[in-house]
Amino acid sequence: MQIIDRQKINNQIEDLRKKYGEDRSALMPILQDLQEIYGYLPDVVMQETAHAMGIHPVEVEGVASFYSFFRTKEKQGKYVIRLCQTISCDLAGKQNVARQMENELGIKFGETTKDGMFTLEYTNCLGMCDQGPAVMVNDRLFAKVDAEKAFRIITDCRRDFLKSDFPEVVPSDVKKAGPILDHGIKPVESLKKALAMPRSEIIATIRESGLKGRGGAGFPTAIKWQLAGAAKGDKKYVVCNADEGEPGTFKDRMLLYEETDLLLDGMTIGAYAVGAKKGFIYLRGEYLYMRKYLEKALEDRRTQKLLGGNILGYKEFNFDIEIRMGAGAYVCGEETALIESLEGYRGEPRNRPPFPVDTGFQGNPTIVNNVETFIDAALIISKGADWFNEHGTDKSKGMKIFSISGDCELPGIYEFPFGIKVSELLKEAGGINAKAVQIGGASGHCIARKDFHRTIAFEDIGSGGSIIVFGPDADMLQVAKNFLEFFVEESCGQCTPCREGNPKLLEGVELLEKGRCSVTYLNELKKLGETIQVASKCGLGQSSPNAFLSIVENFKSEILSPAVAGKLTKEEQYAR
Amino acid sequence: MAKILIVDDDIDFVSAVKLVLTSNGFDTAVAYSRQEGMDKFVSEKPDLVLLDVMMDEPDDGFVLAQSLKKKSKDTPILMLTSVGQVTGMDFDKDSEMVPVDDFEQKPIMPNHLLEKVNQLLGN
Repeated sequence: MQIIDRQKINNQIEDLRKKYGEDRSALMPILQDLQEIYGYLPDVVMQETAHAMGIHPVEVEGVASFYSFFRTKEKQGKYVIRLCQTISCDLAGKQNVARQMENELGIKFGETTKDGMFTLEYTNCLGMCDQGPAVMVNDRLFAKVDAEKAFRIITDCRRDFLKSDFPEVVPSDVKKAGPILDHGIKPVESLKKALAMPRSEIIATIRESGLKGRGGAGFPTAIKWQLAGAAKGDKKYVVCNADEGEPGTFKDRMLLYEETDLLLDGMTIGAYAVGAKKGFIYLRGEYLYMRKYLEKALEDRRTQKLLGGNILGYKEFNFDIEIRMGAGAYVCGEETALIESLEGYRGEPRNRPPFPVDTGFQGNPTIVNNVETFIDAALIISKGADWFNEHGTDKSKGMKIFSISGDCELPGIYEFPFGIKVSELLKEAGGINAKAVQIGGASGHCIARKDFHRTIAFEDIGSGGSIIVFGPDADMLQVAKNFLEFFVEESCGQCTPCREGNPKLLEGVELLEKGRCSVTYLNELKKLGETIQVASKCGLGQSSPNAFLSIVENFKSEILSPAVAGKLTKEEQYAR
Repeated sequence: MAKILIVDDDIDFVSAVKLVLTSNGFDTAVAYSRQEGMDKFVSEKPDLVLLDVMMDEPDDGFVLAQSLKKKSKDTPILMLTSVGQVTGMDFDKDSEMVPVDDFEQKPIMPNHLLEKVNQLLGN
């Protein structure tokens, strides 16, 4: 690299630091922009970035190597084609799409064409599970891709999408709306009402409603807001967790796009209640296409004095929101990992306590809530706690937005009250023949027909909204394998049980696949799974073996005599 | 004789504080939860409330303090908590979110507690 190049890089870095700020938290957006410029992150670019930020180059490389959307080894193609490999797209026939793309481009997944035009990559969940197989090309999403459509996408790339028939944004498919989605509330109505209330009254209303976090963990929203509001600190933050990475979840993608104003009202109400001046939307890298719409919504609100200084004329209420992009790390859906990522570090979960409500972004009190939670909070302020808690159960109040995909006739987005039976939900979605349902995504539980009478509620089977239906012909061993492959890839690697345990479970599934796993060894694997549950550091690690364990419990005889076993060679049969 | 309401879910702490206060001539009433605290506040009409933070829920003390001040803004509240040690959280009084008159960390020495109690009662 010549001196002049280094100078050019330095100038670019300085410009980016002016744009994103000079502290460490600007590292991710700076690296994302540099990758945009260079097609990848060459060593010299990472070194110069480190030098400019006053940190060791290893720190920069550590961050770049953590996130799957950063490339440090070779230049990516002009068009990076990412094919979703998670379970719903797998069930929908992702293999045919993959084969067609490889044949068309003459490269394998993980490779770039010699002319530098295309890179083929697998990715985890694009949030299009009801319309799979899904493909992302740079910042464009494509739904229901088949072999023919894959060919058309590649052809359109070659023409730079100049005459493309594909829509800019794939519409979401809302199959059943209820009080939340049919809210009838005008933008800003909730915010105006909230700003006329004392801060403690806002939190009291949220408490009365019984709202619990919609991301899946179900922590009471009012407690989070109350603790952050009571915490000492001049700087407080509001973070919207829009890192919807749980396989089978796609409702936030719809809410972010269709209910942007209500979301921003909810965030602003949260900021007012806890006393925050700054907010972030942590948007998953796979939703990059949405960024421009959200940026425009933020800009419109600044013009209307709904963001910025003296919001709606209320003196001393200053609040603004910045969008930060994730870079393809599932673990960043965990709130402390998300905060680490926002701060410009590897997305590794923190020990708790201290909790983010007191020691969050850069050590300051921070509330992190899911997209749906902020929307519910805004609606509760407008319509009252009773309007919300008349639905649901005693311990799980309100309506919930579900993402239903897999082997059912009517996949899509549904609004149901908490406490709905799995059987009722399957009836609505046209999946009554299902032999199993995965509730709560990869980290959730796989239940069999005998448990379809159970309810979806925090006190029974909790869920962030992901429902994946498996039909009578589904191969449950392949389901377990898909989820374990997901966790092996997505484990942040920080703690041993999750990092080392999941590959062992996957090896076990591969033995089962070959018909070479004894019941004794399967029982050992079960014990290992239980150890991962109790010994992992974060919630995601702890829940990583859930799917495997519930499949072993519910489908033991099926996975011990896999379909493939019938196709074993004589040699392999003897080896059993 | 001043009456002091102790609201805390730690039974041992409540009995110890009660002992210190009664042996120094105060009347006491006790409650072990947020709801019971509110009920006793209404029925016992205390002159001072000693209030814990984390009870059934981690924010019970703050929520109760807000409700008590709405009922009677003149009754002083002394917040006694080990929440800082347990969770690393750092709180301070604030008329809106933490409407208490003073804030003390547990464990607290009996003499120091009596000093604070007398101070808040204006003795």
